[in-house]
Amino acid sequence: MDAALSLDHVTKRYGDFTAVNDLSFAARQGRILGFLGPNGAGKTSTLRMVLGLSSPTSGTLSVLGAPDGRPVRDRIGFLPEERGLYRRMTPVEAIVFLAGLKGLPAPEARRRARQMLEEQGLGAAQNRQIRNLSKGMAQKVQLIAAIAHRPELVILDEPFSGLDPVNQQTLESMIRNLARDGATVVFSTHVMQHAERLCDHVVLLAGGRKAFDGSVAEAKARAPRALVLEGMLEAAAAAALPGVAAVATAPLDGGGQRQTCALEAQASGQEALKSAFAQGLDIQRFELREPSLHDAFIVLTGTAPDQMEVAA
Amino acid sequence: MRRLIKIAAREYIAYVRTVGFWLSMLALPLGMGLVLGASGYMEASAPAPALVLIDQTPGQTFGPLVARKFSDGPGGRPRADIVDPPVALPSDPRAIGAALKPWLTGDLKLEGKRKLAAAFVIHGQGEAIAIDVWTDNPLLSSTETVRTVVSGQMERSRLEAAGVSPALLLEAAALKPTVTDFSPKTSEKASLLNRLPGVIGFGAAMLLWSVIFTGAGILLNGVIEEKSSKVLEVLLSSATVPEILFGKILGVAGVTFTVLGVWGTVGTILMNVFAPDVAGDVGKVLMGGGLIFYFAFYLAAGYLMYASIFTAIGAFCETTREAQTLLGPIMILLTIPVIFLSQALRRPDTPALEIMSWIPLFTPFMMTARAASGPPLWQVLGTGILMLATVALVVWIAGRAFRAGALSTGKVDFKGLVARLRGGE
Repeated sequence: MDAALSLDHVTKRYGDFTAVNDLSFAARQGRILGFLGPNGAGKTSTLRMVLGLSSPTSGTLSVLGAPDGRPVRDRIGFLPEERGLYRRMTPVEAIVFLAGLKGLPAPEARRRARQMLEEQGLGAAQNRQIRNLSKGMAQKVQLIAAIAHRPELVILDEPFSGLDPVNQQTLESMIRNLARDGATVVFSTHVMQHAERLCDHVVLLAGGRKAFDGSVAEAKARAPRALVLEGMLEAAAAAALPGVAAVATAPLDGGGQRQTCALEAQASGQEALKSAFAQGLDIQRFELREPSLHDAFIVLTGTAPDQMEVAA
Repeated sequence: MRRLIKIAAREYIAYVRTVGFWLSMLALPLGMGLVLGASGYMEASAPAPALVLIDQTPGQTFGPLVARKFSDGPGGRPRADIVDPPVALPSDPRAIGAALKPWLTGDLKLEGKRKLAAAFVIHGQGEAIAIDVWTDNPLLSSTETVRTVVSGQMERSRLEAAGVSPALLLEAAALKPTVTDFSPKTSEKASLLNRLPGVIGFGAAMLLWSVIFTGAGILLNGVIEEKSSKVLEVLLSSATVPEILFGKILGVAGVTFTVLGVWGTVGTILMNVFAPDVAGDVGKVLMGGGLIFYFAFYLAAGYLMYASIFTAIGAFCETTREAQTLLGPIMILLTIPVIFLSQALRRPDTPALEIMSWIPLFTPFMMTARAASGPPLWQVLGTGILMLATVALVVWIAGRAFRAGALSTGKVDFKGLVARLRGGE
């Protein structure tokens, strides 16, 4: 399958600061690519280069066959990180205007706007001024405006930020539908759970550099499984269990501690657990946990967990 | 072009739908109507001032002459109403004011509840005539009337005493030269038509100034609103910078010219109804020699130059307070032409105006105001080319600044501004 978007050794510098460093990856047509990284990793800078809003210092891009997004802007849908619409417009007017800029005739844009607003539960709000809508409603309107012209490539910069859990689920569903209809979706996020649920392919970025490029399963395979033990047991005892590579300790509210034991690649969680019971350790709860994308990110980038945000 | 027109249409509709647009559309005609109506009503309804006139000179020749002058005002209305003193007056001229004080200060009213505006006491004899004016209104125009009448009569008395016959004096007073204005351009009698280009040039320059001020202000606020509400980044992903820039400028120009068009149409209709000769002359001046195209050129180029500057500044600001810091120098520049424009009406060829015509930022105003004097062709072409080159440069810089500003976050200091202009992002 052809790449809808590819970057080849792209670097972007602002003066002495390197925002994106030698980045290469490709997004295949009809797939969902998660562009992951903490705040300041270079995600927005990369997406702006893709759209042609800024130029790379070095390297090349291919966006739907063009050197950047400008010649093919009518085939791209974009939701920026900092959302904004004309506050005195109604949702229908805003969608018709923005879709019109992408070449969609006004009558068709109006029909689609009404239909999509209805589908998203905004039918009653379609003729209210945007300044009178809630933030979540306005964000949905903006996403509809970005995709009403049925773009081949959809770029969403931090689409989940500021949304409540219900609207996050709605947005996930919209993204899946876009991919199902054949669009290539690239979305940036620093919340791993969304990427884990949605993406076929993830690119992990840290400090402007690519830390990983592959499937979610491949990323997770890079992180160790963990045996979580809760009770009145010491870290040293947990660390002495067979196959345990490292232990992270956290106090529990009701007393005792949680020992999160990272297992060695070939180690068996069952053996470690058996050994713990055999030693008579005070264990009130245990869990053999498969690595998450969040865990994988920490391993792959070395970024401390407190630099990441947890999904709502 | 499609996107440019859509952006322009959105700008236009966004402003036309506001209450402020309709208020500003109605403000000038209503304001002018109110001012003209109010001044006309005041003129028509104001009663002639009530005056007491005492002539204590031997022969009392001045009193009837002054009274006749006051009774013969414009439109057949009296200039003033000479009334009898409301109280018996003393013979001492200096005591008359004290006797009339309650009426002169308004503590007591004359018949018909009118205030006594002034008392004139003409006294003395021979060539030592004095006029005492008792009034609390130092700007009363009646004083000058009395002085002129008395002075004329004294002059006549002296000439009669020197043997000049009264008949000759009357004939001499009737002598008046015939003054005729000629136009050096046509070698024919000058008419309103000859003076109109200067007035129209001045008016067009002021119009350009006000269009730039209002249009650019609308643009600036619009871009600031888009920047603060984060719409600009969406626009930039959907259209090119020139499409956005010119779309916005065109849309706001549409708003401004809609207002001007309505005012112009109403003004033309009123002029055709109430002053058809003047309307015809204005039409001849504007259409004759292509003056209307001359004005249109400077109006378009001047608007484009300043609108581009204001739009670019707006892209760097999220609040009007931030914009004020960057706008300061531009506003100072914009006030300079206004200071010189009134000079252009009287002396359109003064060297200062010629020099200022060569400064591209002032060219549109100065060359428009100088239109009446018919500046040399080489000056028209030279300043025009220089201004167009500057417009192109300003538009180019504004495009880069707009893009850099639209994608920037936070406050931008001067150093950052220059760096972004050089980098374009």
